[in-house]
Amino acid sequence: MTPLNRLTCEETFRQLDSWLDHELPVAEQHLVDEHLALCAACAREFRFEASLMQSVRSRLREVTLPPALQARVGDLLAVELSRSQEPG
Amino acid sequence: MIEPPEIREQAARQGAHRIVDAEEFQALLMGVLSPAYGYALRLTRNRSDAEDLVQDAALNACRSRHTFEAGTNFKAWFFHILTRCLWAGHRRAQRRPSTVDFEDVPDLYLYTQSTQHGYQVAGEDPARALIDQLGTERVVQALERLPEEFAIVCTLYFMEDFAYQEIADVLDVPVGTVRSRLHRGRRMLQKSLWDVAREAGIVKGPAPEDAR
Repeated sequence: MTPLNRLTCEETFRQLDSWLDHELPVAEQHLVDEHLALCAACAREFRFEASLMQSVRSRLREVTLPPALQARVGDLLAVELSRSQEPG
Repeated sequence: MIEPPEIREQAARQGAHRIVDAEEFQALLMGVLSPAYGYALRLTRNRSDAEDLVQDAALNACRSRHTFEAGTNFKAWFFHILTRCLWAGHRRAQRRPSTVDFEDVPDLYLYTQSTQHGYQVAGEDPARALIDQLGTERVVQALERLPEEFAIVCTLYFMEDFAYQEIADVLDVPVGTVRSRLHRGRRMLQKSLWDVAREAGIVKGPAPEDAR
């Protein structure tokens, strides 16, 4: 790949949100990854953002389904679904 | 189980997609119950309201199950119903009027603030270290401070592995709106996390009106 195909820091940074969301087309993903392999400053920023998102995600997912709710919904569905099968 | 004739006729009028039978529907819904509860809890911030919301949504889903097309994204379909129940039932978290200025939060807000105010960003994983110091309750508190439309998109993004289009389907908005709200919402969340960290004494820094 010629130097003309490489991204600048600014161009790379513009892709940050899409990069975080895995929404970049393959070719652009490759260009961003190439820049990050060469630029320590950008790599540090991207790594921080990715880790931040993952850490927040982990914390927000710390939820346990109450067994009683699971049982109630199961019963509710059973009643409602059997009611819908009744003739007339 | 054999579907009642009236349900099949209604499906036929709507375009003849295959509807799932009762047993399959129950399995699908029970399979998404845990993430649905997590989503409901983050938006209502109240266990009792979250449980009521999930039950209401399950009942609504059951009664409109003929609208679900077999083989399509059941989780997004159910989350759409859940979100509508949230809005219809007004079981949203009691939101205090936000005193946080979320206008034009710059990119890399948390990274920049951390660097400027002495919180180490050169360690192995400084972002994770900061979130670990905050703890789950403060992270939830930071999310709660966002304006509702941004909090909902961020909650869907963080709680589930929905793609932009799936979030758009859940919320009935264009995918461009999802992208815009998510990107902006993440920046707002960074500011909110910093404010919560500062209030908790985890980081030093000026008051919010000076921290731009």
